[in-house]
Amino acid sequence: MLNKYSLQRFYKGWQIFIENPLGKTGVIILVVFMFMAIASFFVPLIGPMYDPMTGIDPDIRVSTGPSLTHWLGTDNVGRDLFAQLLEGAKVAFIVGLSAAFISIVIGTLVGMVAGYTGGLLDAFLMRTADIIMVLPSLVILLILASLFGQFNIWIIVFIIAIMRWPAVSRVIRSQTLSLKHRPFIEASRVAGASHLRIIFRHIMPNVLPLAFLYMTFRVTAAILVEAALSFLGFGDPSQVSWGMMLQWVWKSGHMFQAPYWLIPPGMCISLLTLAFYLLGRAMDEVLDPRLRKEGQA
Amino acid sequence: MTKPGYILVKLVEVAVIFFIILTALFFLFRLSPGDPMSKMVDPMLTPEDMAHLIEQMGLDRPLWEQYLIYVKNFLTGSFGFSFHYGEPVSHIIVDKLKWTILLFTTSTVLAAFAGIFLGKIAAWHKGSHLDNVMSISALVCYTLFIPWFALLLLWILGFKLGLFPLGGVLSPQLWVGNASLLVRILDVLHHLMLPLMTLFIINLGSYLLLMRSSMLSVLREDYIITARAKGLSEKVIRNKHAAQNAALPVITSVGLSLAFSINGGALTEQIFTWPGIGKELIFAVSNNDYPLAQACFLLIALVVLVANLIVDLLYAWLDPRITY
Repeated sequence: MLNKYSLQRFYKGWQIFIENPLGKTGVIILVVFMFMAIASFFVPLIGPMYDPMTGIDPDIRVSTGPSLTHWLGTDNVGRDLFAQLLEGAKVAFIVGLSAAFISIVIGTLVGMVAGYTGGLLDAFLMRTADIIMVLPSLVILLILASLFGQFNIWIIVFIIAIMRWPAVSRVIRSQTLSLKHRPFIEASRVAGASHLRIIFRHIMPNVLPLAFLYMTFRVTAAILVEAALSFLGFGDPSQVSWGMMLQWVWKSGHMFQAPYWLIPPGMCISLLTLAFYLLGRAMDEVLDPRLRKEGQA
Repeated sequence: MTKPGYILVKLVEVAVIFFIILTALFFLFRLSPGDPMSKMVDPMLTPEDMAHLIEQMGLDRPLWEQYLIYVKNFLTGSFGFSFHYGEPVSHIIVDKLKWTILLFTTSTVLAAFAGIFLGKIAAWHKGSHLDNVMSISALVCYTLFIPWFALLLLWILGFKLGLFPLGGVLSPQLWVGNASLLVRILDVLHHLMLPLMTLFIINLGSYLLLMRSSMLSVLREDYIITARAKGLSEKVIRNKHAAQNAALPVITSVGLSLAFSINGGALTEQIFTWPGIGKELIFAVSNNDYPLAQACFLLIALVVLVANLIVDLLYAWLDPRITY
C-alpha cells in the first residue's frame, strides 16, 4: 500500500501544511490538549483526592481558589478543578473523534452509493440528507432526552454522528459523480468487476482524503454539541466534561464568585474548536492548490 | 419551469418534509419508555378533566385513529395543555414567540450587515494589518463557545460593572406601575443588550469570514478587470461590482446556518432568562412538560423549513443566472 511515491506525496503535503501559519497554530494547540488528555490518566494515581469525579479534599467544604495542592482550585464539594479539566480534554477527544469518525463512515458510504447508483435511490438519500442537515442537532437531542431520559456518553456520540453525516455525503457524492465516468472505472466494469468491488476498491480510495478533510470540521461540531448538552444539564451524569464543569459552576451559583472555575473549561472548549478549525483550513489548502496560491499572492 | 411552478414545487416539498417530521415525532412519543397517556395528559388533573383530554386527543382509540386526530389537532393549532402552566400550549407559544423574534431578527440582521460591510473591507485590503486583525478576531468570535461567552458577558458587564440587568426581559416595577410607553421600550432594550451582544458577536464572526472569502473569489472574476479597464473608480468597483455579488452567498448562509443559530439562540435565551421559545423548550424538557416540548419542537422545525424555503426563493430572485 505505502510505496515510495505516496510517502513522498504525504511528506510534501505535510510540509505545506506545517509551513502554513494556520496549520502550525492548530497543531500546537492540539498537541497541548493531547498532553492534557494523556495526563488525565495519571492524575488520579497521585491520590484518591485527585479523582475528577469522586475525589474530595477532606479539608475543603466550599469552592476555593488556586493553591499549591489544587492548581486551579476546587469546586464547591472540594473536587480538584485541574483534574476535571484534564479529564475534560480526554472526553472532548473521545467524543469529537468518535462522533466525527462515525459520521464520516456513514456519510462516505451514503455519498458513494448515492453517486454511483443515481436514480431514485440517489434522490431519496439526498432528500433525507437535506432534511437532517437543516435540523438543529441540539434541539433534537433535547427532545430525545426528554422522551428517553438521560443518555450515556456513547448514545450522545451516536446521535451527534447521525445528525452530522449529510454534509459529508453531499461532498462525497459529487466526487463520486465525477469519478464514475473516468476511464479506469469504465475499464474495471468492462473487466467484470461487481458494483460493490468498484465502489470499495476503486472509488473509495479516491474519496477518502476528502472524507478525512471533512472529519476535522465534524470533530468541532461534535465537541460543541456535547458541551452544550452537558451545559444544559442533559449530559452523561457519570462523566466529567468541560460542558459539565460549566453546568456545575452555573447551577451551583458560583459563576460570579469563582472565575478560576468559570474561565478554564470554556476557554478550553473554544481553543480546541479553534484548533480543529485551523487544522481543517490548513488541510483544505494542502488538498486544493488554488487556495494555496491565494494565500501566497 | 415557470416561476409560479417552481414556487409551488418548493412549497409542496416543504409540506411533505414537515409532515414526515410530524409523523416521526408521533411515533417517537409512542416508542419511548412509559405510557403515552402520561406524556400527553397532566397526571395532576381531576379525573373529569383527564377524561375530557383523553377524549379530545383520542388516546383511548387505536393507533391509526390517534395519529389522524394528532394531525387534525396540529392543523387546527391545538397542542394540548401544558402541565406546568395549565394553559393551552398554543397560548404560551404565541406569548413566547415575540421575544424570540425580537432577539433573533435584530441580532441576525445587525450581524449580517456588519459582517458584509467589514468582510468587504477586509477582502479589499487583503494581507494588510487591518485584514489580519479583522480575520483573526472574526475567527476567534466564530469559535467561541456560546454559553461560556454569554456567562463571561453576564459576569463582567452585568455583575461586575452593573451596566445591564442580569436577566429577564423587563423590570417588574415599571410594568405594574404606570410608566410611559417610551420608558417601557427603553427598559426592554436595556434587557435586550446582553443577549443581543452575545448573538451579534458570534454571528458577526461567521458572516465576516464568509463575506471575505466570497469577496476574494469575486475579485478574481473577469468582469472586475473589465470594470477596471473601463476606468471606473475603485470605490464603484468595490461597492457595486464586487460587494453586491459577493453578498449573495452570505445571504443564503443566513438560512443554511439557521440550525446552528437556533442552537445558539436557545443557549443564549437560557442563560439570560430571556423568555423565548428556546428557553421554553429547555424548561419543558427539564420538567417533563411533554405537550409544551412537542409544540416548541414542531415550531422550530417549521421555522427552519420555511426559512430555507425563503432563502431558496430569495436566491433565485437575487441571482438572475438561476433559471427555474
